[in-house]
Amino acid sequence: MTSQLSTKRAWWRWRPDQQWEGYLFILPSFIGFFVFVILAVIFSLGISFSDWGLTGFKAWAGVENYQALFRDPVFWRALHNTGFYLITIVPSQLVLGLAMALALNQSLRGVGFYRLIYFMPVVTTIVAGAIVFRLLFSTHGPVNGLIEGVAGMFGASVQMPNWLGSTRHSKWAVVFLTLWKNTGFTMVIYLAALQGVAPELYDAAHTDGANAWQRFRHVTLPMVSPTTFFLFIFQAIGAFQLFTEPFVMTQGGPANSSLSVVQYIYLAAFRDIRMDKAAAMAWFLFLFIFIFTLIQNRMQRHWVYYETSD
Amino acid sequence: MKRILILLTVTLALMLVVAACAVPPAPKEAAPEASEAPAASQEPITLSWAFWGSPEEAKTHQKVADAFMAGHPNIKIETMVAPWSDYFTKIQTLWAGGDSSLIPDVLFLWPTPRYAAEGVLENLDPWIKKSGYDLSDYWPALLESAMYKGSVYGLPRDIGLEVLYYNKDIFDAAGLSYPDDTWTWDELLAAAEKLSIPGERYALGMEGGKYQLWVGQNHGSILDDMRNPSKCTLDDPAAMEGVKFFADMMDKGYAMRDADLSQAGGDAAVFQSGQVAMIIQNASRVSAFNAANMNYDVAVVPIPKGGQRSASAGGAAWVMSSGSDAKEAAWTFLSWLQDTDGGQKIYTASGEIFPALQSTARSDAFLKADQPPANRQAFLTEGENAKVGRFGYFPEWGELNGSIIGPAMQRIWAGEVSPEELLPALCEQVDAFLAENGYPK
Amino acid sequence: MAGNVSVSAGNALTGPDKVGRALLHTALIAGTVLMVAPFVVMLVVSLIPQEAFLSRNFSPAQYSLTNFVETFRVVPFGRYYFNSAVVSISVTVGQILISSLAAFAFSRLRFRGRDVLFLLYLATLMIPFPVTLIPNFLIIRELGWYDSYPALIVPGFFSVFSTFLLRQYYRGLPMELDEAARMDGASSLRIWWQIVVPLSGPVLAALSIFVFQAVWNDFLWPLVVTSSAEMRTIPVGLNSFVGQYSTAWGLLMAGSVIALLPVLLIYLLAQRWFVEGITLSGMGGR
Repeated sequence: MTSQLSTKRAWWRWRPDQQWEGYLFILPSFIGFFVFVILAVIFSLGISFSDWGLTGFKAWAGVENYQALFRDPVFWRALHNTGFYLITIVPSQLVLGLAMALALNQSLRGVGFYRLIYFMPVVTTIVAGAIVFRLLFSTHGPVNGLIEGVAGMFGASVQMPNWLGSTRHSKWAVVFLTLWKNTGFTMVIYLAALQGVAPELYDAAHTDGANAWQRFRHVTLPMVSPTTFFLFIFQAIGAFQLFTEPFVMTQGGPANSSLSVVQYIYLAAFRDIRMDKAAAMAWFLFLFIFIFTLIQNRMQRHWVYYETSD
Repeated sequence: MKRILILLTVTLALMLVVAACAVPPAPKEAAPEASEAPAASQEPITLSWAFWGSPEEAKTHQKVADAFMAGHPNIKIETMVAPWSDYFTKIQTLWAGGDSSLIPDVLFLWPTPRYAAEGVLENLDPWIKKSGYDLSDYWPALLESAMYKGSVYGLPRDIGLEVLYYNKDIFDAAGLSYPDDTWTWDELLAAAEKLSIPGERYALGMEGGKYQLWVGQNHGSILDDMRNPSKCTLDDPAAMEGVKFFADMMDKGYAMRDADLSQAGGDAAVFQSGQVAMIIQNASRVSAFNAANMNYDVAVVPIPKGGQRSASAGGAAWVMSSGSDAKEAAWTFLSWLQDTDGGQKIYTASGEIFPALQSTARSDAFLKADQPPANRQAFLTEGENAKVGRFGYFPEWGELNGSIIGPAMQRIWAGEVSPEELLPALCEQVDAFLAENGYPK
Repeated sequence: MAGNVSVSAGNALTGPDKVGRALLHTALIAGTVLMVAPFVVMLVVSLIPQEAFLSRNFSPAQYSLTNFVETFRVVPFGRYYFNSAVVSISVTVGQILISSLAAFAFSRLRFRGRDVLFLLYLATLMIPFPVTLIPNFLIIRELGWYDSYPALIVPGFFSVFSTFLLRQYYRGLPMELDEAARMDGASSLRIWWQIVVPLSGPVLAALSIFVFQAVWNDFLWPLVVTSSAEMRTIPVGLNSFVGQYSTAWGLLMAGSVIALLPVLLIYLLAQRWFVEGITLSGMGGR
């Protein structure tokens, strides 16, 4: 996304001899794009403004579906939960991913092995991961066993959280699953960015007497900030669309405490047969993501450092 | 970056305009007439038949299909099976597609009124009348679960009524007498106190979602009318007491909390492992417990003093698609499925269900004297007293229960809030939902 | 520039001292344990019969392959496997080819509307998938593809993300290569196939793996567009274990292990490409 900036001068230039070739090259891709994205989007927008049952279009409904959303407490609950996922998952993934990448960017024995392991969850089937985590976070499961063991070492006795069965903890279980699954991805991207930082910058900083923290603060962080921005947006959009994790692990429960917006969209469409309501929610979510990204784009100039490319 | 944003906005605006102009075509009216396929033609008619089930259950379904085809050489049954978790998505997507060549002719479905309201199901009244199919053999109130606006839209296969399963070994070890139909809530509580061992064993394992059993037994109800509700009645004293009874059992450590139960693998698993002494569940557990050679029996569910037996009269039903192009054959199959000498017997004999037809339940297919549980009469007693009350028979019930009532009740089962605190607030939400959807109609 | 990227552990000017090293290793090993634990649980539970699991008997004496045998007996896992392989490989090849063609045009050909079109592509990256799920099913049905390989494969051919990624990379290759080739009379198709594609081996490898694992693990789409057991893929088949009433942990875990093995194997064999490719593709923000 960011590299858009450097195309400023070229975007209107074109060469007549490449005109038709260009279209031909893009054609296969564009057919798919048009049918499965553009057409589908228009279709779904139409559904959201109509009364749409199991058998299809019944009547136009104007903005009724959208208005009904505002009166639906469950929708607000789901929105609230999704917000929670956003503010917990995204920052912790960035911090953990960067920390892991920094550690693995050292000349250490076994770096390749660690990297191999940390990335493994990324390639696993999320359904399988969610099922294992259900087991891990069960009341008498390994996680609580560990907590008990650690507390026991300090002579303390703690109330074992019922992770999946209490409205206070269920979201956290989902957060942990997501972190396990996705942090490796963040790490790999950061690692790539770190390896792209010119060694001379560190040399210079070192010569100036900068200590490790200062080198991190004033060289590493600014140099990877475009990556941070990319990952931030990428993960935020992912968090907005969280579905499989709560769906398989908690089914959104208990008491809708872990229900995400996309999960509620799914339920509305396939359990309640309210395609119209589901479509309206999907568009509402889109709007939300859109505004969020807009704001982040505004704010990026305050903290993202771009090297001038020429 | 700025250009991206401008473009996004413009694109979005464009899409809105296009969407506003592009009126989706109105759905084609259903095919005018249907039964042009003569039943006795040479060409075999192919019926597609959809159901959900585990791989084991799918085998029973296949056995049923084979038995039918053996007796009806001119009809070929093609099966379509999906696990419970995918089934409804799949069926609804097919209906949404509207292509009658893809939509199954005969389906297993729940809840019937929801789909009948969408117009995708065939009204079975004319077929029943024409063929003289006997509806009086069904358990009382059961057919209501498959009716919409006074017409029958489905034939229930089974009735999911619960009985009390108890582990005889544990009762013997505790020196307790076995439950029988004289037991009330007091006897249940007294036994529960002796049967539960903190941290090791619970007296009772029962899914939170079955709470209505206690409510109904105490003459309470979820809504004032489960067909056309005007208000929530869970905060009435009778209903509140029923909910409290269940919640108290959990608070005292007699009954396993709902979340713990599902995490431990469900009531069958904890009953088999001896983590609970009793469960309250329908007939679907019998074959598993028999296969595991358990020493157990069943009894009717204890009721409060002055209470009533209140098993839920509901069960998934066989239905016919209104868009089927072989309705004659579909009805032949449907009525055969729900015949004591047809599908009912095979399903019942498999031990997976308690049959919807009283004659089947009273036949050898169910009563099998040689196999546990010995007291199969308990099922018949509960069946004779089955009532409407667990499920709402109006289209929005699934949404109301799935998004509002069920999740709220989970907070009680988790011990986070007391019934007195939660139920009045819940009823306010339910009433708002009912008003929003225009009830009572 | 693409040529001289090294993946060797990098840029830290001075390696950490002994204490730092020990601390770092401790932290990294702790991380390893956290990351691996779910896999270990999965494997152990898959090896333990249901009764032993319920009574929490995890001793190795119990280990057996019963769950795996049972898994293969109750579900046509072989068929699911085959379907997953066919679908994953077809989508990967098709998507890479089509995206590469488009990316080539977006990055190295000049024509009217190019950048506007590309921005339109990018704009759709933000659209949540539920928006397009139902309409896409309807489109598939209209095409008569329901419950068939085309339904599983063709929509996967098109990917904005892959196009974007490849375009970013292609932009980094020097334009002089194209110009020199054009002087020699090479067509655009030849430049794409003989210059750009060979130069992007690592990024293509990385992207292929990305796509392959994403398709292999996809759940919702195969669920919606297939109805027969013959057309199911592994995750959908895995889901069929979660029955209506009970949870067969042993079978589920055995199925999970079976589902994960191919992707994990490919990952173990090709992980070098993964990291290198990402570095090269410029996803690092440059």
